[in-house]
Amino acid sequence: MYRTFLSWRYLRARLTNLIGIVGITVAVGALILILSIMTGFLEETKRTVRGNLADLIVTPIQDTRSVTGEPVPKDARIAQRILVEDARVAAASPRLVWYGLIAQGGDRAGHSRDVLTDSEAGRMMGVQLVGVDVRSHERLGGPALAGMLALLGVPFVPERVHDDFDTTDLYAGLARPPHPRRLGAPVENPLDPFAPPPVRRGGSGPRRAAVIVGEQLFSSLRLRRGDELELATVVPDPLTGKVAISNRKFVVAGSFRSGENEMDLERIYLDRRELGDFLGGTMSFSEILVKTRDYDAHGRRLAVDMERKLAEAGAIWWNGIEDDLGRRGQVRTWEDFRRTLLGAIENERVLMAIMLSLILLVAGFTIFAILTMMVAEKRRDIGILTALGAPPRGILATFLLIGFWDALLGASMGALLGVQGALHIDSIEQWLSGVLGVQIFNRDVYFFDRIPAVVEPVPVAMIVGGAFAITLACAAVPAWRAARLDPLVALRYE
Amino acid sequence: MEMRTQEPTPARAAGQPVLVAKGVEKHFLLAGNKLPVLRGVDLELAPAESVALLGSSGAGKSTLLHVLGLLERPSAGTVRIAGREAWGLSIQERARLRNQAIGFVFQFYHLLSELTALENVLLPAMIAHGRFAYLKRRAELRERATESLTRFGLAERLSHRPPQLSGGERQRVALARALFNDPPLLIADEPTGNLDSTTGAAVLELIFEEQRRRGLTLLLVTHDTTVAARCARTVHMHDGRVV
Repeated sequence: MYRTFLSWRYLRARLTNLIGIVGITVAVGALILILSIMTGFLEETKRTVRGNLADLIVTPIQDTRSVTGEPVPKDARIAQRILVEDARVAAASPRLVWYGLIAQGGDRAGHSRDVLTDSEAGRMMGVQLVGVDVRSHERLGGPALAGMLALLGVPFVPERVHDDFDTTDLYAGLARPPHPRRLGAPVENPLDPFAPPPVRRGGSGPRRAAVIVGEQLFSSLRLRRGDELELATVVPDPLTGKVAISNRKFVVAGSFRSGENEMDLERIYLDRRELGDFLGGTMSFSEILVKTRDYDAHGRRLAVDMERKLAEAGAIWWNGIEDDLGRRGQVRTWEDFRRTLLGAIENERVLMAIMLSLILLVAGFTIFAILTMMVAEKRRDIGILTALGAPPRGILATFLLIGFWDALLGASMGALLGVQGALHIDSIEQWLSGVLGVQIFNRDVYFFDRIPAVVEPVPVAMIVGGAFAITLACAAVPAWRAARLDPLVALRYE
Repeated sequence: MEMRTQEPTPARAAGQPVLVAKGVEKHFLLAGNKLPVLRGVDLELAPAESVALLGSSGAGKSTLLHVLGLLERPSAGTVRIAGREAWGLSIQERARLRNQAIGFVFQFYHLLSELTALENVLLPAMIAHGRFAYLKRRAELRERATESLTRFGLAERLSHRPPQLSGGERQRVALARALFNDPPLLIADEPTGNLDSTTGAAVLELIFEEQRRRGLTLLLVTHDTTVAARCARTVHMHDGRVV
């Protein structure tokens, strides 16, 4: 009985114990808060990053140095058909990715010149050209036609029925509202994005193919819908093998917002057939984006299966290179693409946890110091207790219990503070930003417009457990010394 | 129920000796040299006997007291308390024997300053009982402690802490604490050494009164021959021996 009673009484009698408790509270609270934010950050990043990527990406190697010497099919349809046959695949859409330069854009694009001035040449910007399929006309006309053919007893399967445009990242980028502080201009109908925009400057001139420009690029070039944009690129000549320069004028149909900085700054979408034509008809697709029905359940397995199947069908060929898992690197999951980014965040989270554990260690040292002081101060009490019949084990328990109360109070207050802080971090940040007059979380820098925080019970339990372990370990040393104290040294002198 | 503690236990009055020390030796090591303090002490304390231990300073009184009080292990010799060979017991059992069989009164009171007078008195019972056993008997134990402090004239001082008490009051609290577990042996180390003569006399009166009432065996260390004269027997110590 005296152990609990005395430890509690000693705890209350000395205000220095409060310092130890506050130390543990701060350490536990900070650990939980930071880990929750890092976990939220990781999950939110995963979600954003994944939203802009297909589940699987089939990238056939398109050069002529094949093992078998057979040419790779230039048509995506063979691979596409094999992909959509699998029940696990929800949609598969080919796209063509190429790189180009914006030769002229915005207001200056109207009057073409043969010679660029130095300053204009300096403003040429590299862009990623992405040719995609839009099925909108089939989607609109398909059901009526299918119904009619079904009446005649003919099964009708539209050629590109499986590419489900409204599941693609472009559709998401078109449907996302423009950034409030940028000058984006959404297209008229996201389901038919390459429909020609209203032509400006009198409407004369040849009909040009439409492009959709990333929002940041769109605003930095001060583009408007209907503006002309001249693109230049380099393509290999299929006959001679030499490179040739190709340039063409397009009309800007609008802007998209992916939420990912690089994409919004560098990417231009256009119809896959238009891009193929711009490149001189040498290429029709460079990759096929695959949406799965349940990526978490069978995404990785599917990637392996598909690679084998596609190789058997000759839709992709193999250059003889395999990784450890026997994969040939031509069917990749979205995680393969973002491994470094996700790995970096995960790594950061672990490092942060280790760093913050040091705070816990410091709090533990405080407990150690306070208890050491207390044992020195209570030497006489220890002697008296021994004389009254308390065994060394009881003395040890008494001082260890002080550490236990410190841990109990500190860890529970810290857990409460950390969890509440994580749940209300956004309002706390806004309040703090208001008070300090500084923007703490710059929402323009990140993908998200609120601070993400996810409180997971297991890490919280581990942090609380760790706090207990460290505190008790730090309390054990002075408690052990108290138990070994010679009672006579304590009693002999006043 | 409260009468139980005030009646001397019959077995105690007529049984075997409460304490038997045989050939107790104690030496300390000082810079590698053996420094003998006790050179073979034999002592036997009968039940309800009061014994004064006299001797000049450095004669080994305190060391003998610590050995007999189970606070210091002797270099040689045996100590039997309540029929048990005390230094042959485990640490736990010896602590329990100290708790049950020996009451200490020190010159400097040695109360815990964090605790009230009442809590100080209850401390031996807290040590004797586990948490649940104590909580079960809490009301009864508190009543007993209150009763004994009241009898010592401290009814108004129950919730005072030691620093708020006078020397005489503190020593009375210490006496109440020493007797709370109803031990057969009371060891008092110059209990009046730090008190003025009037207060000291009152405290001494209380000690002898309790000794008679409870049939205690009292071992009293003192310088004062008038105090020693009040004891049934006087033991003189000189140079580590009983003479």
